[in-house]
Amino acid sequence: MDARAPFCHACGTIQPPRAVDHFVRLGVKRQFDVDLRELERQYFGFQRRFHPDRFATKSAEERAFSLQHSTATNEAFETIRSPRRRAEYLLTLLGQPALPADAHTVGDPALLAEVLQLREALDESAEPRAMQRIAQDALARAEDCTRSIAAAFAAGNLAEAGKQTLWLAYLDKLADEIRARGRRPKPGP
Amino acid sequence: MAYSERVVDHYENPRNIGSLDKNAQDVGTGLVGAPACGDVMKLQIKVNEHGIIEDAKFKTFGCGSAIASSSLITEWVKGKSLDEAATIKNTQIAQHLALPPVKIHCSVLAEDAIKAAVADYRAKQGHKAG
Repeated sequence: MDARAPFCHACGTIQPPRAVDHFVRLGVKRQFDVDLRELERQYFGFQRRFHPDRFATKSAEERAFSLQHSTATNEAFETIRSPRRRAEYLLTLLGQPALPADAHTVGDPALLAEVLQLREALDESAEPRAMQRIAQDALARAEDCTRSIAAAFAAGNLAEAGKQTLWLAYLDKLADEIRARGRRPKPGP
Repeated sequence: MAYSERVVDHYENPRNIGSLDKNAQDVGTGLVGAPACGDVMKLQIKVNEHGIIEDAKFKTFGCGSAIASSSLITEWVKGKSLDEAATIKNTQIAQHLALPPVKIHCSVLAEDAIKAAVADYRAKQGHKAG
């Protein structure tokens, strides 16, 4: 039976979303390696079935349920689509979160020293070409990181997957920072 | 979200920004980060022969609250002993800067950074003695 069971099989009316994980919600395997095209196909399929427009003429309750499904489907898709969020989510599901709930900070000196170095380089680079190089460097590191996470999950090494996921979190933030700088010109001296 | 006047003051006029020689025997370096917000904080202390913190410097990449928390803690630790510095609690920083609940982790970062700097200094001294 479908663990999601979004519609009553007797009368066909929409039911409230069940408490299932994001992978089950989108009907993809619960693993780090994800076929993004299949993920998109599944997502668009569910989005069509739950789209609030389809329920415009239904009862207030059914409209509310369709909206809940729609929101849950979006949240599942956004989580699985991003390598960082997918890794964090999977580690939490597997009971070994990258960062324990009571810990807000990390002290891995090698990781932090590299992050600091990248941030300093970004801070000191006024010209667009230098910034572009840093951006490319960060992107290449993020791709390396994603590959390492996949390998660690495949080998069942959750500790390593967690370590690489923290790295990816920093690289993602760095990419955000670079994008933000691209939008606003650096203030003059 | 509105920052408190003290946060704005530290953010606009950060105290003790900069670096000390991390390889010097009398310098302790603390490096901590909060992956959730991407913040990274480096805090360094220079300790004299009486075990008193003579100088402190920081470099923080993060939001205004993180910068203010590290700026404030460098001011507070100067002239303190290592033991005194290690007892500073994030709640004192958060209270002084009137940080809102979503920014409390910034003060945690500063507390962890000073503890890490003290630990690094002590490890260096232990290494020298041994």
